Amino acid sequence: MSDLDTAEEVRPGTAPGEGIAVEILGDGDFDTADMSLSIGPAHPATHGVFRVVLEMDGERVREARPVIGYMHRGFEKLAEHRDYRQIKALVNRHDWLSGFSNELGVALAVEKMMEFEVPERAQWIRMLIAEWNRILNHLMFIGSYAIELGAITPMFYAFREREDIQALLESATGGRLHFTYNQVGGLKIDLPKGFLAQSAQTSSLVRSRLPDYFDLVLGNEIFHGRTKGIGPLPTDVALSIGVTGPTLQATGLAEDSRVTEPYLKYADIDVEVPVGENGDAFDRFYCLLHRIRCSLDIIDQIHDAMPAGPVNSKLPKMVKAPEGATYVRTENPLGQLGYWLESDGGRTPWRLKMRTPSFSNVQAIPYLMRGQLLPDAISILGSVFFVVGDIDR
Amino acid sequence: MSEVLARQHRALTPEETEELLRDRLGDHVQRGMVEYGVFTLWIAPDGWLDAARRCHDERLLAYDMFDSLFGVDAREDGFDIVAILYSTSTGNRIALRTRCAGGREAPTCPSITEVYRGAEWMERETYDMFGIDFPGHPSLEPRILTVENFEGWPLRKDFRLASRVAKPWPGVKEPAELDEDGNPIQRVPGLGDAPGPYDLDKAMAEQAKAVNAPPAPAVEEPDGDAGEQETTETPAGGEPDRGGPEAGATTADATTADDAADDDGEDPAARAKARAEARRKKQAEARAAKAKERAEKAKQAREAADDGGSATSEDGEEDA
Repeated sequence: MSDLDTAEEVRPGTAPGEGIAVEILGDGDFDTADMSLSIGPAHPATHGVFRVVLEMDGERVREARPVIGYMHRGFEKLAEHRDYRQIKALVNRHDWLSGFSNELGVALAVEKMMEFEVPERAQWIRMLIAEWNRILNHLMFIGSYAIELGAITPMFYAFREREDIQALLESATGGRLHFTYNQVGGLKIDLPKGFLAQSAQTSSLVRSRLPDYFDLVLGNEIFHGRTKGIGPLPTDVALSIGVTGPTLQATGLAEDSRVTEPYLKYADIDVEVPVGENGDAFDRFYCLLHRIRCSLDIIDQIHDAMPAGPVNSKLPKMVKAPEGATYVRTENPLGQLGYWLESDGGRTPWRLKMRTPSFSNVQAIPYLMRGQLLPDAISILGSVFFVVGDIDR
Repeated sequence: MSEVLARQHRALTPEETEELLRDRLGDHVQRGMVEYGVFTLWIAPDGWLDAARRCHDERLLAYDMFDSLFGVDAREDGFDIVAILYSTSTGNRIALRTRCAGGREAPTCPSITEVYRGAEWMERETYDMFGIDFPGHPSLEPRILTVENFEGWPLRKDFRLASRVAKPWPGVKEPAELDEDGNPIQRVPGLGDAPGPYDLDKAMAEQAKAVNAPPAPAVEEPDGDAGEQETTETPAGGEPDRGGPEAGATTADATTADDAADDDGEDPAARAKARAEARRKKQAEARAAKAKERAEKAKQAREAADDGGSATSEDGEEDA
């Protein structure tokens, strides 16, 4: 069927080996067999129990079908059986890498419905912890994405920093993963003495080590080859799916609720939103890495602006949201987290819908993987940053 | 950082949005309201798809970002569907809301997947949780979050929380049971009706109570007994001083104390007290003996040191 005498030279433009000539004998048309390949539910690239069924045509992905629900724990149902103070211990578990940011959304929603005035200092502290939490989350993904692409060293670097930050947060909240530091109306307890100094020290330490990541990962030729031009996502498709966070910002749109709909005191400080160009895997990772630097900038501004005063306000004996519904949107590390809180005036919510960033972001996977090669599918899977608990809830 | 997002159009107010959509959709727009900063627009179920399409296509509205879609239990009226849309160009957000046709038995709502891609999974999830059918959706099966053979629709209010059936809420009152005035909160039957503590729990509680029972109610009597024992025991405690190794003394002491208690009758509290008293005394004596020993040793050591000191000095002289 093929004429072996005609040799065609292929020079992939975006690949790192631009000088390497790949020679395909014949017309490049081979007989391939269709097969169905299941990645997961227990695959290192899936951060939990997440499964993608790939319909393969040779080495090319014809169709990708994510299968979710392995970790469904029914948080929305459980929340209907807890009172408003108990919910925060529940919601900091669905995205276990950003516990504080999750609590924050529920606290803001309840406060909005009860028309609660949160003390200034509590709002600044909330921002401070939320930004540290964001850095913790991003460091984790920097390490794990590099592992998925075959580089193990960045993980060690990332965990070195994570340990410092976790020790810092533990000194204030007592927790390393599930902080449970928020309360309706403020915070559980004020920061310990010397926390701000320690925080400033950690901030400068992490900042001084950031160039390591830029050199180690972004400066790596293999990394470029594995991610550049892989799985590009146009902005309109991303918006139609509901993709948010670094995955949306990588498409070139600076949509970040800290800027477009500021909550807490984000309106009083400068928030920089890094954006990519064409929304490919490289841009997604680039945005994630630069968000750490931007968060450090925010943290430094918070240190300067931190006021004195109380950190919580007196709650009524019974925390009850009045009848009605509200929607609160916060910028979680992985994207936009929304809580639709509907109350019938009772002690428990009538409905608490968790609009989680991972659930929406993962919906983009079938679009991104269609027509890609199998090794690139792994690269794409890792670059759409998600936490499985956040998908399944 | 306002220049990050350059707004393309002036954002319409909720009233203007409602007016515009009412103009385009007619009676399908039922009512709009702003509640806690969220603009909610009620749409008739027939106009649901049109409303979504208008919101997406209308240049002044430009709700280009699909946020979420979910169901809400509306008690005997059936179920509501809420779709939240956001516009990245105007910064507006709208919550479209409709009541599903078909009541609680066969709720249906038109699918909006052809307008927003993101609705696909959200509608699958709503089907999985509420059993709402979405005509026009590519495929609602298999169930997205629960297992394939799962029975029932978990987020409906008449679906009982399984963990509450198995084990009651550990608190005194179920959070959803009563408000602070003691008035039952209006709720659907089945919520918070978990059965009381298990029989097994009750039996274990009884057992624990029996084991940890406080001593018999006789309180004054043992006091008198203890006094007697104290007097009787003093000589017994004094015995080891007069001779014999300490180890032997302890056994002797214990037996005497026991005997004394036995003589006083079978009062466990008094006996325990007597035993404790004897032990205390013994320890005190042991301490005293040890202290004496130590003092003697120290004395000897001092003497030895004095001797040693002179010895070393002599040694030193020899070396020199």
